[in-house]
Amino acid sequence: MVFHGHVRDRSHSFFIGCAIASLATAALCAAFSVSVMAAEPNAKIYLETIKPLFLKRCVSCHGGLKQEAGLRLDTVELMTKGGESGAAVVAGHVDKSLIVSRVSQSDPALRMPPEHDGESLSEQQIESVKEWIHSGAPAPNNEKAETDVNNHWAFKPLSRPEIPTPLRFEWIKNPIDAFIAREHEASGLVPQPIASQPVLVRRLFLDLIGLPPSVDELAAIHADQTADWYEHLVDRLLADPRHGERWARHWMDVWRYSDWWGLGDQLRNSQKHIWHWRDWIVESLNADTPYDEMIRQMLAADELYPNDLSKLRATGYLARNWFLFNRNQWMDETVEHVGKGFLGLTFNCAKCHDHKYDPIEQADYYRMRAFFEPYQVRMDMLPGEADLEHDGIPCVFDDGMNLPTYLFVRGDEAKPDTSRVILPAVPQVLAFKEISITPVTLPLESYEPQRRAWVMDAHLAHAQKKVALTNEALSKAHAALLTAQNAREHERQLQAKQASAVVAVDEACEKMVADAEAALRVAEAMAAVAHAERDSVERRGNASKAKTNCSENTNDALLEQFHAAAVDAVRGEREVVVAQLKHKVSEIELRLLRSTADKKESIEKELSTAQEEVDKAVKQIELSGENFTILPGAAWTPTRFKNSTADDPPVLLSSTSSGRRTALAHWIADARNPLTARVAVNQIWMRHVGTPLVSSTFDFGRNGTPPTHPELLDWLASELLEHGWSMKHVHRLIVTSATYRMGSSMAGNESNIAKDPDNRLLWYRTLQRLESQVVRDSILALADSLDSTMGGPPVSPGNQADSRRRSLYFFHSNNDRNLFLTLFDEAAVKECYRRDQSIVPQQALAMSNSRLVLDSADRIAERLSKVIPAGDDRAFIRSAFITVLAWDPQEAEIAACMRTLEAWRGLSPSGVHAGDTESRAHLVWALLNHNDFVMLR
Amino acid sequence: MNQRHPRSFLELPHRREFLSDVGMGFTGLAIGAMLHRDSMAQESSRQSLLETHPIAKAKSVIWLFMNGGVSHMETFDPKPFLNTYAGKTISETPYADVQNPKKLANERVTVPDANGNQRNTLYPMQVGFAKRGHSGIEVSNWFPNVAKHVDKLAVVRSMWTSDSNHGAQAQFHTGRNMLDGDFPTLGAWVHYGLGSLNDNLPQFISIGTREYWIRRDGHYLGPAHDAVPLRIDPNNPLDFAKPERSFSGEAQSLGIDLVQQLNALRSVEYPADPIMAARVASYELAFKMQKSIPQILDFSDETAETKSLYGLDLPHCRDFGMQLLASRRFVERGVRFIQIQHGGGGAGAWDAHGGLKSNHEKLSLAVDQPIGALLHDLDRRGLLDETLVLFASEFGRTPGSQGADGRDHHPFGFTVWMAGGGLKRGVVHGSTDELGFHAVEHRHYVTDIHATILKQLGLNSRKLEIPGRKRLAIDHGTPIDEIIA
Repeated sequence: MVFHGHVRDRSHSFFIGCAIASLATAALCAAFSVSVMAAEPNAKIYLETIKPLFLKRCVSCHGGLKQEAGLRLDTVELMTKGGESGAAVVAGHVDKSLIVSRVSQSDPALRMPPEHDGESLSEQQIESVKEWIHSGAPAPNNEKAETDVNNHWAFKPLSRPEIPTPLRFEWIKNPIDAFIAREHEASGLVPQPIASQPVLVRRLFLDLIGLPPSVDELAAIHADQTADWYEHLVDRLLADPRHGERWARHWMDVWRYSDWWGLGDQLRNSQKHIWHWRDWIVESLNADTPYDEMIRQMLAADELYPNDLSKLRATGYLARNWFLFNRNQWMDETVEHVGKGFLGLTFNCAKCHDHKYDPIEQADYYRMRAFFEPYQVRMDMLPGEADLEHDGIPCVFDDGMNLPTYLFVRGDEAKPDTSRVILPAVPQVLAFKEISITPVTLPLESYEPQRRAWVMDAHLAHAQKKVALTNEALSKAHAALLTAQNAREHERQLQAKQASAVVAVDEACEKMVADAEAALRVAEAMAAVAHAERDSVERRGNASKAKTNCSENTNDALLEQFHAAAVDAVRGEREVVVAQLKHKVSEIELRLLRSTADKKESIEKELSTAQEEVDKAVKQIELSGENFTILPGAAWTPTRFKNSTADDPPVLLSSTSSGRRTALAHWIADARNPLTARVAVNQIWMRHVGTPLVSSTFDFGRNGTPPTHPELLDWLASELLEHGWSMKHVHRLIVTSATYRMGSSMAGNESNIAKDPDNRLLWYRTLQRLESQVVRDSILALADSLDSTMGGPPVSPGNQADSRRRSLYFFHSNNDRNLFLTLFDEAAVKECYRRDQSIVPQQALAMSNSRLVLDSADRIAERLSKVIPAGDDRAFIRSAFITVLAWDPQEAEIAACMRTLEAWRGLSPSGVHAGDTESRAHLVWALLNHNDFVMLR
Repeated sequence: MNQRHPRSFLELPHRREFLSDVGMGFTGLAIGAMLHRDSMAQESSRQSLLETHPIAKAKSVIWLFMNGGVSHMETFDPKPFLNTYAGKTISETPYADVQNPKKLANERVTVPDANGNQRNTLYPMQVGFAKRGHSGIEVSNWFPNVAKHVDKLAVVRSMWTSDSNHGAQAQFHTGRNMLDGDFPTLGAWVHYGLGSLNDNLPQFISIGTREYWIRRDGHYLGPAHDAVPLRIDPNNPLDFAKPERSFSGEAQSLGIDLVQQLNALRSVEYPADPIMAARVASYELAFKMQKSIPQILDFSDETAETKSLYGLDLPHCRDFGMQLLASRRFVERGVRFIQIQHGGGGAGAWDAHGGLKSNHEKLSLAVDQPIGALLHDLDRRGLLDETLVLFASEFGRTPGSQGADGRDHHPFGFTVWMAGGGLKRGVVHGSTDELGFHAVEHRHYVTDIHATILKQLGLNSRKLEIPGRKRLAIDHGTPIDEIIA
C-alpha cells in the first residue's frame, strides 16, 4: 500500500472495477508523520529512504521502546552520539560508522538486524546508507526522538481534562462539543447545521434501538412542541428494552460471540447453549450494569458469584474460546482478545518475540496466559432441565491441576522452555498496582453442583416425563390389542353365522392378536424400564441427601442411614439393568413372532442368550455394593488435546479456584487502568458517531493511531468512571451533543471541504451503513412483521428464512451464517472490532430480489393503501417516503415516482388503475432499494 | 472537490477522479493496474508500478482443486518401487530412512482423527503409467485426455505442506496452517492486487463445493475480496440473482431506473457523496451481472463439437465439463480468477481412505476429459498463453495402504501441475524419493505456487501486504523460476 505523508485511518480496497468503498477496519499504520516538506533539502534522502528503513528494521530495539547496547537510532543526533560500542554514524566517514560494518557483516552472529529478526538489509539498502553517511549524514532540523514509552498517551494515567471555552459557545450543547469546537476553530472549520427532525429521529431510533421509527411515532414526536423533545426521546429509547438488543449486538462483535460449531453433532468450538451469555449481555445493558462489573463477571463470575447461575452466564465470554483439539489455540485466542477487546493491546504480537512497538516482553504474553491456564469449561444444570444437550449454562471453572505455564521459544508450542514456570503478571508499564492473587474457596454447591436444590427435581422430572411417555405407549398398545381382539371376535361371529369355517381368516386374526400381545409386552417392559429408572433416580437422590447429611454432621446414626441408602441406590441401578435386559428379551420375542421360519433358529438362540443375561443380572441385585452413580448437576466439556479419537481423561471439579482471573479482572476493571475506559468509550463513540476517536480500535499502543481528539477521549473516559461506569450515561452524553446532531451533508461548505476533506475534525455527520442486522430488522419492522420475542435459543439456519425474529437471535457461528446478513458485512466471529461497510453488487441483488424485501414491500404498500384511496398517487408517494426513508419527498422526487407509477401501470394488461396494488408495492420496493434506506444519514 | 452528480460511474475518467478524490476503493497497487490496463498512466506512476512488480504474462487463472487429496503415485508421479516392494513394510525396504522423525518434523497435527497417519505396508500402484507426448512425461492411464496435452504442462512433483488433515485445503489456498488462524486466499490477494478486465462481471469467481474451513477468501482483506460463488445454472447462477418470487423483468428494470433517479436527486441536498456514488455503481454492476452471467452460462452459441469436447453429452463428466466450459467463457470475458473445487462431500471426494482404485478411477473419469478439453480449447483460441491453469489438491496420499485398499493423507510429498500463463511447456520439476514419500529435489511449499502465479500475473507477493498484518517469508513463497518460460 502507498501512504502519503499522513496516517490514514482506513484500509483501501478495490472491487470489481467499480467504485466500491470498503471502509474497512484493518488499517493500522506506523505513525511516521515527519513532514518531508519541512525538512532541509539535503535531508530528503534521509527522510525518504534511511529513516523509514531504520524505523522498520532497527528502531524497535534501538529507540524509544528499547535501547539495546545503549544505542538509539531514532534521530541522527542519537546515532552520532552512539552507544556502548561507539558512534553508529560518523558523518562523512563510512568506514568509521559502526552501523555500516554491522549491517554488512556476513557472520550471522554479528550481523544486524539479528538473524531472528529476518533477512539482512539488501545490498541496495546498505548502499543507500553508505551514500547518505558519505554525503555527511544530513539530518532534518529539530528531528524529534521517539517519546519515552512511559509517556505514550494511552499508558499515561487518565486525568480529567479541562473543558475548553471555544468562541462559538451558542453551538455547544454539552462539553463534548467544546472539545470538537476548539478543533474546528483552530482549523477554521464551521460545523454543518443540525439535521432536520425526521433525520434526527430516524438516526436516534436506528442508533439506540436498531429499528426505524413508525409513522405514528414520527407524527407524535412532530407534535411534541416542547423544547426538550429530543432529550425526552433519548431517555425513552435508552429505557426501551430493545436498546439492550441493539447494543448487545455491538458488544457481541467485540466480545466475539459465536454459537457452537463442529462436525455433525461433534462440538468443536464455542459451546452449546452459549446464547445464555447473549441474553446476559442484553439484560445487563438494559439494566445499565456498570461496565467494570460486566468485565468482572465475564472474566471471573465463577470465582466471584460461584452459585449465581444468572451471573455465571457471563463467563460464556471465556467458554466461547473452548476448542476441542488444541489448548494452545484456545489460550492464544483468549490472550489476544482479552488484550484487544478490553485493553487495546496487541499481546498477540509478543507470542514469538518481544513486542516491536509496545513495552510487552515475550514473557508478558505468557504471563497473561498464566491467568487463564487453569480454566476449563463445564455445563451447569438449570432448574427443570436435566438433559444438558437440551439446555444448560456453559460456564468456566479452574481445574485445580496447577498446570505450569511455559514460554514457547519463538512461539513454537513444540519448544516450551521448561526451565522456568511463568506466573501470572501484567506488563511492567501498566503495573499501577500490586497484582495479588488469592485462591478462592468455593462453596460446596459450586464444585458439587449435584447438591443444588433443583438438580434432584430436574432429574426426577426428567424420569417422570419418560414414565409418562411410556405409559402413553402402553395404553396405545392396550388399545391395539383390544382392536385386534374385537376384530377376531367379529370374525368368529361372522363365521358362526355363515357356518362354513374360513380357517385362513381365523388364522390371520389369531396372528394379529398374538402380535398385539407381544407388542404390549414390549410396551410393558419399556414402561418397567422407565419406572425402574425413576425409582433409581429417587433412590440415588436419597443416597446423595444422606451423604450430604452426614458430611455436614457426622454421627453413627446418620452414617448408618447413608450406608443403607447407598446400598438401596446401588440396587435401584441394578434393577434398571434388569428391566432393560427384560425389555430386550421382549423385543426379541416380538421379532421371533414376526420372523419367517428360516430365521427362527438364530433368533431363538439370541433369545436364550438374552434370557441368560436377565438371570445373571437378577442375581447381581443381591450382591453387596455402595458405589452408586451420583446424579450430576453439571458436566465438564471434554477435550481431545491428546491427538486421539477419545476424550481426554475427565477433569474433576475442585473446591478451590486459583483466583487468578479475579485478580486480572480487578486489574482490568480498575479505575486506575489507563486503557480500559479509554478503549470502551472509543468503541461507544465510534458506533454513535461513525468514526472512532482512535481508529485502531484494538490497538492503543505505539503502533496504533493517535486519537484525533485526545482530550475528548479522556474526558469521555473520565465521565464513564465518575458515573459508576454507566454506559447509558455515555450514550446520553454523546447523542445529546451538537456534534451528534449535525447533518450529513457537505453542501455549501466548500472551504471546510478544502481544509478537512476526510472529516477528521468532525464538521459534518459521518455517514454510516446500517449493520447487517439493522438492515434486515428494519425491513421487517416497517412491514410490521417483526417478532419482538426477546431471548432464548438461536433460530437455527433451517428456520431463518421464515423467521421474523430480530437478527441477533439468528444462529451465528464460524460455519453457519445467514446469507442475507453475510452480504452486508456480518461480523466475523473470530474478530470484529469494527464492522466493514462494503458496497458490493451482491447487496444490490439481495435488496432487489430477496423474498424478504419483496414480501415486505407488499405488506408496507398494503398497510399504506388502507388509508390512502386508490388514485391518490401523490399522497401515497409522500406516505411511502416518510414510512421507509423518514423524510418528506421533494417535488422532483414525487414527479419521478409519479412517472414510474404510470409506467408500471402501463405494463399491466388490465387498464389504468387495475395495477394500483402492484405498482404501489413496486414503489415501496424501490424506496427500500434507495441508498438512504441502508444508510444512516 | 467539485460537486458532481452520481451518474454513469463507469465512465472511466469520472470514476478515476471520483475514486482518487474520495481516497477509497483503490490501493496504490490497484490504481496502478487500472492505469496500466487503461493505458492512461502517467509515466511516473507507470514507472513506479514496474519497479515494484514484475511484468504480467498472464491475465487470468483457472484454479482446479481436487478436494480430499489426489494420490500422486496414481496420477502424475509413478513409483515402480511400490510394486517391487508391495506388501513389505517401509522398514523392510532400503528406504526405511523416509520415516526418520527428523524428516517428518514439518507435520503439524491440527485436527487429529483416525486418519492422517503413517501407513507402513507399501501398497502397489493401482494403475499403469506410460510416457506421453514429445516430452515423455509419464501420466497414469486414468488421465488419457490430460495426457494428450502433456507437452503443455509444467509438472511439479516436489510439493509439501504441513497439515496432515483436510485443513490442508485451506492451507493450499492461504499458505497458512489452520492452527495459525484464517488468512486471505490467493484469489483474494489477486483480487486485491489487480483491477478488473470487465466491468460487467465479478473478478473472482468460485465454483463447486467448498468445505467449511475454506468457505471464505477475503478474511482480513475484508468480504469485498471474497469470491462470488456461482452455480453453473443459467436459471439460478448466483445468490439472489433473480427475484425470489414473481417480479417481471420490465417492472424491475423500471424500478431500478427510478432508484437511480431518486439516488441522483439526493445529490441536491447531499452533493459529492462518495457512498451514494458507490451505491449507484454497485446497482449498475449488479444488474449487468444479473444479465451477463446467465448469458455466459447459456452455452447455446457453442458448437456441438465444443460441447462434446468438454463431455457435456456424457453423464459422468457433464457437471465438471460445464464448469470448465463456463470458465473458458469467463476467461474470454476477462474474469481474473476462477476457483473450482471438485468433489464435495465428506472432506472431499478424492479422500480415498478405502477403495482407492474405484474412487480415483471414477473421479478421474469425471475430470479428465473436461480438463483435456479446456487445455485444448484455450490453446486453439490463443488463450492459453494468457491463462494459467492449475491442477492441485491439498496433499498426496500415503505410499502405504490404509485398510485393505486405501491410502491415507500424505503432506510430505505430492504433485501439482500448471499449464499456460507463460510457463514452460512439457517440463517436470522436482521429485519425490523412490517411494513417493518425501519431496526431495527442489522442494516447494504451497506458497511457491502462489508466488509463481502472482509473478505471472505481474504481482510481487512481497508487496502484497496491508498495515498491521505482517506476513512471513513463508507466506509469500518464492516463484519457481525454473518452470517460467
